[in-house]
Amino acid sequence: MMTGGVRTVTLRVGSIVVLLLLWWVAARLMHDPEVLPSPGAIAATIAEDFVKPGPTGHSAIFHISLTLARIFAAFAASMLLGVAIGLVMGRNRLVERALLAVIPLMLTIPTILMVFLAVMWFGFSEAGGLIAVMAVVTPYVAVNIFEGAKAMDGSLIDMGVAFKAQNSLLVRKVYLPQLMPYMFSAFRYAFGMTWKIVALAETFGLKFGIGYMFFFWFEQFNMVQVLAWIVMFVVLMLALEHGVFARLERRAFAWRAAIAH
Amino acid sequence: MARVRSQPEVIRPEPMACAAIAVRDLTKKFSKPGTDSQFIVIDDVSLSVEEGRFVTIVGPSGCGKSTLLNIIAGIEPYDSGSVQVSPRQGTPMHEPRIGYVFQSPRLLNWLTTAGNIEFALEAQNVPREQWQERVTRQLGMVGLAGQERNYPLKLSGGMQQRVAIARALAIEPDILLMDEPFSHLDAITARKMRFDLMGILAKAKPTILFVTHDLSEAVFLSDRIYMMKTNPARIFKEVAIDLPRPRKPEDPRLLDLERDLVQEFFSVLEGTG
Repeated sequence: MMTGGVRTVTLRVGSIVVLLLLWWVAARLMHDPEVLPSPGAIAATIAEDFVKPGPTGHSAIFHISLTLARIFAAFAASMLLGVAIGLVMGRNRLVERALLAVIPLMLTIPTILMVFLAVMWFGFSEAGGLIAVMAVVTPYVAVNIFEGAKAMDGSLIDMGVAFKAQNSLLVRKVYLPQLMPYMFSAFRYAFGMTWKIVALAETFGLKFGIGYMFFFWFEQFNMVQVLAWIVMFVVLMLALEHGVFARLERRAFAWRAAIAH
Repeated sequence: MARVRSQPEVIRPEPMACAAIAVRDLTKKFSKPGTDSQFIVIDDVSLSVEEGRFVTIVGPSGCGKSTLLNIIAGIEPYDSGSVQVSPRQGTPMHEPRIGYVFQSPRLLNWLTTAGNIEFALEAQNVPREQWQERVTRQLGMVGLAGQERNYPLKLSGGMQQRVAIARALAIEPDILLMDEPFSHLDAITARKMRFDLMGILAKAKPTILFVTHDLSEAVFLSDRIYMMKTNPARIFKEVAIDLPRPRKPEDPRLLDLERDLVQEFFSVLEGTG
C-alpha cells in the first residue's frame, strides 16, 4: 500500500516521464531536429549553455540569476506595496471607498498593454519592467489582503486586547494567522504574474536574462536553443513554486493538517 | 431558611475600602450610526465587588451587561462615572491582572491548547520559564490534563470553554470576568461545568464578576446578585445569598429564591414596558 503523499509523487514523476517519452518518440518519428529536437539534444544544449559562454559572452547562470533577481525585486516590491495598501483599506473607510473605485480599472487593463505602457513611459529599462509588474500585481494583492483584513474576527482581537497583548504579539498570533490564507492566494497569483511579465519584458527589450536569450535564439530560428531556454525557465519556476512556496504554505497551515488528521 | 438580604428598589452602594471592582455612576452612550442621536446603553450604574467574592449581574439579553464587562476590562470606553479595579491585597504592587472568559471560547484555532494559554502568559509578561508549569497545572485544573498539544477545533464546545477558563486562570488573575460562559453549552455540560467551576475557584480564589441571564445559574454560583433591567441598563436590586458552599442546584432554598427573583424580574420588566 502506498500512502497519499507517495502516490502523489509517483503520479507526478510518472506523468513527466511519460511526457518525455512521448516527446522522444515524436522526435524519433519526425526525424527533423530543426523542428522538434529530442529531449536528449535539449538536455545536452542546456548543459552546454551552463558551462560555455553564450552569444552575449555569459553562461546560462548569469542570465538565470539576472532574471531571478528581477523577479524577486518586482515580486517583493508589489507584495509589500499591495499588503500595505490592502491593510490600510481594511482599516480606513475613506481609503477603502476611494481605492475600490480605482482598483477594478487597474485590474481590467490587459497585462500586455500594461507592459507596453510601462515601456513607452519608462523605456526599455529595469524601472520599466519593475513598474509593469507592480501596476499589474499590486492591485490584485491589495484586494486580496483587503478582503482578509475585512474578514478578520474582531472578537479575537478584543480577546487579545482584554489580556493586554502587546501589538507585536497581536500581529504575530492574531492578525497574521488570519491573513495567511489571503496572503498565500495573493502570493501564488503575484508570483505567477511576476515571472510572466518579467519574461515578457525581457523578450521585448530588457538587456540579458532568460527572456532575452529566448528571443535572441528565436530570431536565429534556433529551435534547440529556444526549447532549451523554455525548459530552463519552466523547470526553474516549478522548482520555486513547489520547492519554496508550497513548503512555506505547508508550514503555515500545519495546524490544519493536524486537525484534519 | 435562606437569609436573603433585600435592598431598596434602586441601590447605590458606596464602594468599600477593599473593593476589587468599584464602579460608580457609570454611563455609556452609543451614537446611532449615520445620525447625531445617541442612546444610553448603561445608565448611572454603580456596583462594587469585594475581594474574593463571586458577584453576578443578571439581566435580560442585550441589556448592556457585556458592555459593562468590557468597560471594566478596559477594552471599551465610557462617557461618565468611574471604574476602579484593584489588585489583590497583600501582593506586591502591580497593575491588576484581569482574566476574561467570553460567551464563546475565542480561542486561536491555529495554536494548540498550550499555545492559547501561552498567548495570555506572553501578553501578561509572565516569565517564559514558568509557562510549562502553569499550562500543565491549569489544564489539569479544568480537567484537560494531557491535552496540551491538541488543537481547539478537535475539542468539544465544553472542552473549548474549559481551555478558555484555563487561559484566564493561568495569568493568576486578581479579577476574573465571565460573560455568560456556559450559555452556549447544552444543559448537562453547563451543569457539570458550573460544579467544576466552583471546585476550581475554591482553589484559585480570584474575585469574580459573572454575567448571565439565567437566574438559577446566578443563585447557585453567587455570593451576591445585581439585578439589571434593560433599555437603558440600570441596576434595580441587589441580593445577597448567604448559603454555605458547596451548594446543590436542587437546594429548595435556592429554588425558592430563584422563584422570588423571577417574579420580581417580571414585575419590573413589565413595569418599564
